[in-house]
Amino acid sequence: MASEVALIEAAKKGSAQAFTDLVSNYRDGLFRFLLTRVTSFADAEDALQDTLINAYRYLHSYDPRWRFSTWLYRIAINNAVRLRTADTEEIGDLRDEESDPLAHCIAASDRENLWQCARRSLNDEVCTAMWLRYVEDMSVNDIAAVLDRSVSWTKVNLLRGRKTLNAEMNNDATDTKSKAYG
Amino acid sequence: MDKLAEQLRADAAQINSPISPELDARIQASLQGITPEAAAPLPPKRESKSFSSWWISSLTGVAAAVVLIVVVNLQAPEPVPVVSNSTPQPLILPTVEWHARTAVLTSPLEQEMDNLQSDLKKAEEAVKQDIDRLF
Repeated sequence: MASEVALIEAAKKGSAQAFTDLVSNYRDGLFRFLLTRVTSFADAEDALQDTLINAYRYLHSYDPRWRFSTWLYRIAINNAVRLRTADTEEIGDLRDEESDPLAHCIAASDRENLWQCARRSLNDEVCTAMWLRYVEDMSVNDIAAVLDRSVSWTKVNLLRGRKTLNAEMNNDATDTKSKAYG
Repeated sequence: MDKLAEQLRADAAQINSPISPELDARIQASLQGITPEAAAPLPPKRESKSFSSWWISSLTGVAAAVVLIVVVNLQAPEPVPVVSNSTPQPLILPTVEWHARTAVLTSPLEQEMDNLQSDLKKAEEAVKQDIDRLF
């Protein structure tokens, strides 16, 4: 497979196939990420489509000093925010479990998926920062660039997110033990 | 890697959501119909002025300044308005001899009124005579 730089150059010249190859490594991760950011499965699909279309259309504005995934996630976040309806300003405000796209994509388990906890207890930006850090392995600098925040803000909020989720994880473990021992 | 990071990664992997063939076809169709926008052309570089043109413009400026100074200095001075110190001559008017007597308010008011009116009539006649005599 051609290198990422070569694919970007080819896509800039109008090769849709090169662009498809370029984003093939990111599509699944991007879609999973969008499922944590929007309020319905259809919105996640729309957001993915819009993200890829915008990325292809405005590929000339991509700055090669940054990782391509950083730029792609930035577009995805903008699309997710745009699709968010006025009555669900924060994803954590979701009350309707039935329409939660994440709930439909996670296999039944004896404990709650941590990303559902994150979605419920962290604000959007912190949840996004946690995903980019622990799932996408992005550096703090890249996360700050994606969120358009300072590095120190990113570090502080990653720490807060960790504390919150650690507490959730420990509570969950305690609950499981309690259930086990009756 | 700590326990939380491991758990987060494992839980993310549990989100099972493959992109459906319909969505894939939709995305492909959209991409085929789009042409990436070209980068905006850079603004043309401004050509640096050559040394000679700099000299020409400087000399032109200096010459214009010199001409302006010369023209201003050669112009005839405007006449300065002279303030005369002489006092204006008093207007000599012909003296008129008034043949009128001052009314003395010693009688009752009606009598005084008659006297004043007759004095006024006499004064008018005297003025008329004087005017006739002068002109």
